[in-house]
Amino acid sequence: MSAGVDLDNVCADFGTFRAVDHVAVNIRPGEFFSFLGPSGCGKTTILRMISGFIPPSRGVIRIGGRDMKGQRPNQRPTALIFQNLALFPLMPVWENIAFGLEVRGVDRHKRRARAEELLQLVDLPDAADKAIAQLSGGQKQRVAIARALAVEPQVMLLDEPLSALDLKLRQHMRAELRAIQKRTGVTFIYITHDQGEALAMSDRVGVMSQGKLQQVADPREIYNNPANGFVASFVGENNIFTGDIQGAEGDLARFATASGTFTARLGPAVTQGMKARLFLRPEHVRLAPAAASANSIPVEVTDVAFEGNFISIHARDAGGQVLLAEARNDGATAVPAPGERLHFTFDGQNAVILTGDTAARDADE
Amino acid sequence: MRQVRSTDWLFHLYLVLFLAYMLVPLIVMGGAAFNDSRFPSVYPWVGWTDRWFVELWADTRMWNAFANTIYVALAVVAISVPIGTAAAIVINSIAGTTRSVLYALMVAPILTPGAVIGISTLLFWNGVGNAAGSGFFLFKAGLHMSVLGQVSFIAAFVMLLVLARLQSFDRGLEEAALDLGASHAQVMRRILLPHLYPAIGAGAAISFFQSIENFNVTLFTRGTYDTLTVYVFSKVRTGITPTINALALIMITATLLGAVGYEIIRRRRERRLAGR
Repeated sequence: MSAGVDLDNVCADFGTFRAVDHVAVNIRPGEFFSFLGPSGCGKTTILRMISGFIPPSRGVIRIGGRDMKGQRPNQRPTALIFQNLALFPLMPVWENIAFGLEVRGVDRHKRRARAEELLQLVDLPDAADKAIAQLSGGQKQRVAIARALAVEPQVMLLDEPLSALDLKLRQHMRAELRAIQKRTGVTFIYITHDQGEALAMSDRVGVMSQGKLQQVADPREIYNNPANGFVASFVGENNIFTGDIQGAEGDLARFATASGTFTARLGPAVTQGMKARLFLRPEHVRLAPAAASANSIPVEVTDVAFEGNFISIHARDAGGQVLLAEARNDGATAVPAPGERLHFTFDGQNAVILTGDTAARDADE
Repeated sequence: MRQVRSTDWLFHLYLVLFLAYMLVPLIVMGGAAFNDSRFPSVYPWVGWTDRWFVELWADTRMWNAFANTIYVALAVVAISVPIGTAAAIVINSIAGTTRSVLYALMVAPILTPGAVIGISTLLFWNGVGNAAGSGFFLFKAGLHMSVLGQVSFIAAFVMLLVLARLQSFDRGLEEAALDLGASHAQVMRRILLPHLYPAIGAGAAISFFQSIENFNVTLFTRGTYDTLTVYVFSKVRTGITPTINALALIMITATLLGAVGYEIIRRRRERRLAGR
């Protein structure tokens, strides 16, 4: 069983600081929904409000259509997986998993059986009698998930549960989490500052900044059609140009910058006269030996970094702006050498003009 | 790793002096229990005897005092541990002035001289008895009053120990348990108290020994009953014999055996856990 979660203009205030600012979103039953944003953007506060540890200072939270006002954490159909997992160190694995059943008065025999069942589900058989301290990071993760699933929550809330794991394990657990979610059909609400996690796992992503929800959409839409400068710059890499919109024709517009005048797509609700920036993904940059008829920037390559599956090419244009291009390591692309002069070109449909602040680069640590 | 080689002899000398300072009095005291002299001493050595142990065995007043001491100590543990633990949990979960005031209130009796605690306990309960116009025995001096007097400062030791242990408690565990549907009582029983058991155990042990060795508070509140410390004190006035040394030797031996036994059990348990 799963339930949807409706946030209806929810605010959270700590003194004069507004941590969550009029967030409105309907999370569907059985959906894998991620809140993505830099630390301090209010995403954890949202999670704690849904689980009942913090009351919203304004707005309504409904789970399965039912107003949660006044419902304490132990009365809500939610289970929270904490960032540090918060496993009970003095109980063996199976007692951890069965804790939610124990406090509901389920007898010992049934608890044990249910714990074994859940350990199968999270692919950790034979661990029932181990101590928590004997488990590896990934195993602890699975126990935490099993413990949360044991109470048959309608909504699972996950607070950056993968952040403590190493890269390989993190990628593995992403797929695992996604599979568990599909198998159980429980609504997952996932909090992360890692865009890769959010994009790879979610049905939909809500990007947050400074307490406000910037955009809610599926991962492709978030990446390909960001709603504003913050979303564009927080999710993925960009070449960013500041300049002025010169004139629009259809959904394209001419945009004058210090590096030249380009044609690019107009972002949602962007019109001439607005303070705007042009965003160009490095993978959409093509390397050309000669200037193209439009959208062409002469550059000098400053550095070439081999990343494995792709090669990132750092370059500088005549005005000194640092630009980044990515070439696939498919053997077909000629890799330029540092010092080489060439042209960065791009398709106007692949660049977008957006308003709003950009994310601070240190945000995705 | 050994960079202090040149000062090793100094370190050893210090160790020897320190251990001698700690242990020689005990050895002298224990030796006197076997010396056939009317006064507790090892010099001059009169001759080997076990008569002080025999006399001790026959000393019914002493055994009565010993039993009283144990009763009082057990009662003190039974009352101090819950009070100290509860106070620690309360103090840990509040902040600001209330916390400071409560903390000061709990710790103040440790800093108060025992005689003051003893006298004020006696006066307070007498006052209560007079006000109530009752001659009920609880308002009169007696062992129960020694228990009350001792608890007033021994509970603070328990509180300090538990409070220190609470610092290492992850509040996240409490939230996790609540989120899984536990009531506050269940969180207390299954999560918080198990975390505190080591401190509670240590608190119980300290309470027990603090109570056994207590003299000042007990002296004023005991009424007509003797405890071990009070009895020994009265013997000092009437004329002390090496029976006291015999008693002390037995107590030290019992304590040592207890400590060694505990350590053996602990190591065995550790080995079992490591081998799992």
